[in-house]
Amino acid sequence: MSVLWAVSVTSIIELSRRRVALLFVLLLPLVFYLVRIDVPWQALRFLAIGVGWAVATLALFSHVGARRIDQRLSVVGASPTALFFGRQLAVAAVGLGVVLVYFVVVALTQDVPRLAAVALLLATTVLVAAPLGALVSAVLPRELEGALALLSVMALQLLVDPEGSFAKLMPLWSTRELAAYAIEPVGVDRLENGVLHFAITAVLLAATAWGVSVLRLRPVQLPAPKQ
Amino acid sequence: MSAEWRERLAAHLIDCGVEADEAARLTSDAVAEAAEMGRNPEEFYGPPISYAKTLAAAARTSGVPLDRQRGGVVLRLTGVSKRYRRRPVLRDVSLTLHGGEIAAVVGANGAGKSTLLNICAGITRASGGTVERTARVGYAPQQHGVAPLLTASEHFRLFGAVYGMGARKAVSVGDHLAKQLGWRPRPGVVASQLSGGTQQKLNVVLSELNRPDLILLDEPYQGFDQHSYVDFWDQVLTWRDAGAGVLVVTHLLHELDRVDHVLELPRVDES
Repeated sequence: MSVLWAVSVTSIIELSRRRVALLFVLLLPLVFYLVRIDVPWQALRFLAIGVGWAVATLALFSHVGARRIDQRLSVVGASPTALFFGRQLAVAAVGLGVVLVYFVVVALTQDVPRLAAVALLLATTVLVAAPLGALVSAVLPRELEGALALLSVMALQLLVDPEGSFAKLMPLWSTRELAAYAIEPVGVDRLENGVLHFAITAVLLAATAWGVSVLRLRPVQLPAPKQ
Repeated sequence: MSAEWRERLAAHLIDCGVEADEAARLTSDAVAEAAEMGRNPEEFYGPPISYAKTLAAAARTSGVPLDRQRGGVVLRLTGVSKRYRRRPVLRDVSLTLHGGEIAAVVGANGAGKSTLLNICAGITRASGGTVERTARVGYAPQQHGVAPLLTASEHFRLFGAVYGMGARKAVSVGDHLAKQLGWRPRPGVVASQLSGGTQQKLNVVLSELNRPDLILLDEPYQGFDQHSYVDFWDQVLTWRDAGAGVLVVTHLLHELDRVDHVLELPRVDES
């Protein structure tokens, strides 16, 4: 069994044993969705932000909680890259499970012209949120501080003027474009804008979080003793 | 009766790691002492198996080192120092540890024992001096060495994957090593449900799962009961006899006569 796979599997097992936390991961997006259910465009965007917040928080706690055991594993030979992406895979898998549920909820409760775009919107949100949580955990390696930082990011994401240029710097700006494409009769350029923003954001977040994580976990290279 | 007891005592002494010549000498002494008292050795000392353990332990603690094969150098510290910002923690620490030897790191709280172990593990970078260390290392930190939401067998599979072991083999080896520490992991019980002492046993087992050349242990017996503590030290001696080097941070001074090196760290601000 490869280290990446072993870390993924054990991370999923660990997450599955935090049942109350998983329940909140499932319920948080629902609250966001129900708040704006009367305005389909906004309901979708709020749902995505709820998913993003829940998954980013899950990633934060997963990475912070595993820090010491990952340090130990890296000392005895595990690759920090495998440890990082193993935990990311686990969070992404749980997040994709959650959005599968919400895809069905949206399909049943909204009249969405482009339903496939909803699936894309929710999946891309998970793939941005997982490295976002990991990056926050790498910069702020304590749970409370990290959770407050994520709260600030998500609050800003909700409150910032979506037409302003600053909005594009927010990690989930792509949700606005993809939600518009799913609901409104807009051109494919909105889809392209959303996918491009998602791709750049996800790569930047994942690369930065991975880099910081490797720097933190990589043991000092010690030479073999001369006999 | 006396001859049979004598043979069995010698055999059990050898099983306990005593060299054949030394076992023969100890056996002769024991039989002669019983004869002087006009007693049968079986009545005088009891069953040979239990008396052999007592004699072997006495041989170790009486300063009579058991002959054993020492291997190559597994850890060499030369003038190692560490400072955090401007505060010195370690100064000029040197040690050469071979395979088949045990070194104990002792010192008061704040003397830098755990810092030194972290430097040996590669978690912390030394500020000065050189550290040479074998690549195959086992490491048991003092705290947070296990994942609270994983069972023992899940730990074995995870660490086994790092060591390139198959899942089944990792669990089998882990269960076997746990048994040597007097613990039989129960399926479905996660680490957070284990007692502190049993969590530490899991911590220790994970450090030796891949039969490393060097085992680094940071006060791993916290929470152990007396029996587990004895099992732990027996295990340390078994690793040593199997050729591994063991570096153990400890504050229990009565075990120091069982080790090959004692590295006493002074508080740097007091030295």
